[in-house]
Amino acid sequence: MQGATLSRWTMSYFALACLMLVAGQGLMLAGYGYPAVAVSAPETLVLVHILAIGWLSLLMAGALLQFVPVLIARPLVGGRFAAPALLLIVAGLGALVGGFVALSGAIDLPLALLPLGGGLLLAGFVLLAAVLAATLLAARPLPLPARFVAVGLSALVGAALVGFAFTLALSGTSDNLLLVRLVADGVDLHAALGLGGWLSVTALGVSYRLLAMFLLAPEAERPTSRIVWWAASLAIGLVAACIPVVLLAASGVTALFAAAFLLTLAAVLLYGGDVVHLYRSRKRKQAELNIRATFAAFGALLLSVALLNLPGVRAGEGLAAVVYLFVFGWLTGLGLAQLYKIVAFLTWLEAYGPVLGRAPVPRVQDLVDEGRGRVLFWFYYGAVAAATLALFAEASGVFRAAVLVQLAATLGLIGELIRARRLCIVPKALRAPVGMVRPHLFLPTFVSRR
Amino acid sequence: MDEDEKAALTEAIRNALRMIIDPEIGRNIVDLGLIYEIAVEEGGIARIAMTTTTRGCPASDYLKDAVSNCVWYVPGVEYAEVRLTYEPPWTPEMMAVEG
Repeated sequence: MQGATLSRWTMSYFALACLMLVAGQGLMLAGYGYPAVAVSAPETLVLVHILAIGWLSLLMAGALLQFVPVLIARPLVGGRFAAPALLLIVAGLGALVGGFVALSGAIDLPLALLPLGGGLLLAGFVLLAAVLAATLLAARPLPLPARFVAVGLSALVGAALVGFAFTLALSGTSDNLLLVRLVADGVDLHAALGLGGWLSVTALGVSYRLLAMFLLAPEAERPTSRIVWWAASLAIGLVAACIPVVLLAASGVTALFAAAFLLTLAAVLLYGGDVVHLYRSRKRKQAELNIRATFAAFGALLLSVALLNLPGVRAGEGLAAVVYLFVFGWLTGLGLAQLYKIVAFLTWLEAYGPVLGRAPVPRVQDLVDEGRGRVLFWFYYGAVAAATLALFAEASGVFRAAVLVQLAATLGLIGELIRARRLCIVPKALRAPVGMVRPHLFLPTFVSRR
Repeated sequence: MDEDEKAALTEAIRNALRMIIDPEIGRNIVDLGLIYEIAVEEGGIARIAMTTTTRGCPASDYLKDAVSNCVWYVPGVEYAEVRLTYEPPWTPEMMAVEG
C-alpha cells in the first residue's frame, strides 16, 4: 500500500456540514442574528458557530481525513478516531449553541452548556488534530502543501483553546480577570485563528496539490509558494502573539493585527500568482466546473483581504460585510466548488473502483451534470455579492432576499451532490456493471456490508 | 516461447490494458503513459510496472488490481505480477496526446 485509501467517515462529515450550512442560511433568512441584532449578540454567535464549526470546520475536517494521506502519500494514522472526533464536535456544537441560546434568554437553559460545549469541541478538535498530526509526523520532511496543513492545525487548536476560555468566562464559571480581558478584547484573534489560520491557510495548502492534480499541471514547489507559507505562518504567529498581549492588557494588538493583515495580503497576492501559473501550465484543455467555480472564491478572498487592510474596515466600518464576503464568497464558495468534485470522485471510487478493469465504467465526470451546476454556482456567487453589498448598505430587506437566493442555490448544489451519490446522472449503459457497489448516501459502506 | 511470441503477447497485454481508464482523466491508462513496462518471460510470465498520475491517490489500489485482473485474462498469460512504482514520477508530458 503506497498511500491513501477511502476515508470511511469523510462523507458523514460532509453530510452534517451541508446540513449545518442549510441551517445557518435558514436562520439568516428567518432574520435570526446579525443584522437584526448586534454582531456580538448571542443570536449572532449561534449563527457564526453553526457556520464556522458546523459547516466549514466539519467540511475541512472531512476533506483533510481524505486528502492529508494524498498530500504525503502515506496512510492515515489513527483513522479509527475519525468517528469519535465527529461525535465530540457535533455534541460540542450542540451544547455551545444551547449555551448561546441560554445567553440570549430565548429559552431557559443552563449556562453550563457553554463550557460543556467548549470542552467537547476542544476535545473533538484536539483528537482530530492529533490524528492528522500523527499522520504528518510519519512523513517528515513534509511537502509544502502538508506544511500549510500543519500550520492550520496549530491555529485550530489555538482557536479551540481561546474559544473554551471564552465559554468559561461567558457562563460565569470563572471570573478570572485574564479570562474577562480575553473575552473583552480577544474576539478578533479567535476569529482570525479560526477563519484565517485554520480554515484559510489549510485551504490554500491543500489547493496547491488539488489544483495541480485536477488541472494536470506540474507540481514543482515554486519559491513564491514557499514565501506564501512563510507569510501566512508569520501572520498566524502575530495573531497568536496577540493572546499574551491581550491577557496582560498591554498595547500593541492593533499594530500586530495590521502587520498580520499586511502579510496575509502579500501571501494572497503571491498565491494568486501561483494559481495563475498552475492554470497556465495545465495539460488539461478544459478546466472542470470545480476549478472554474473556485476562481470566484479566490476573487472573494483577494477582495476581502484587501478590504481588511483598510484601517476603517478593521475598526468596524463595513466589517460584517467583509467577513460575510470572506465566509461565503471565499470559504463557502471554495468548499461548495471542491465538494462538487470530491463527492463525485469518492463516489466513483466506492461504486466503480472494485469493478475497474472487469467492465466498462464511467468517468468521474459522468457522475455530475456541469450544466446545472454552472447555473447554480452563478446564482450562488451572484447572491453572495448582493448580500455583501446589502450589508454594506445596511439594507436588511435586500440582504434577506439575497440570502433566499443563496440558500436556494445551496440547496440546488446539495441536490446535485445527492444525485452524484445516487449515480442518477451516469449513462444507463454504464451505471450498474456487475459487481458495482451502490454507495450509501452518507454512511460508510462497511456499516451494512459486514 | 520465441521472441516473436513474446512480442505478440506483450502487444496483446498492452491492448487489453486499454480498456482500463483513469477515472479522473477519463482516458485509458496506456495512452496516459501509466504503464511503464510490460515484460513477458518464458512460460507466459508477465511482469508489469505501472504508476498513477498522483502519488498517494486513493484510486491507486483499484488501478493496480484492475491491471492485474486484466492481464491474468489475456490468453497466453500464465502468471502476472504488477508492480506500482513512482520512479520516475508520472508527468503530464508522458501522455500520448493532449488530454
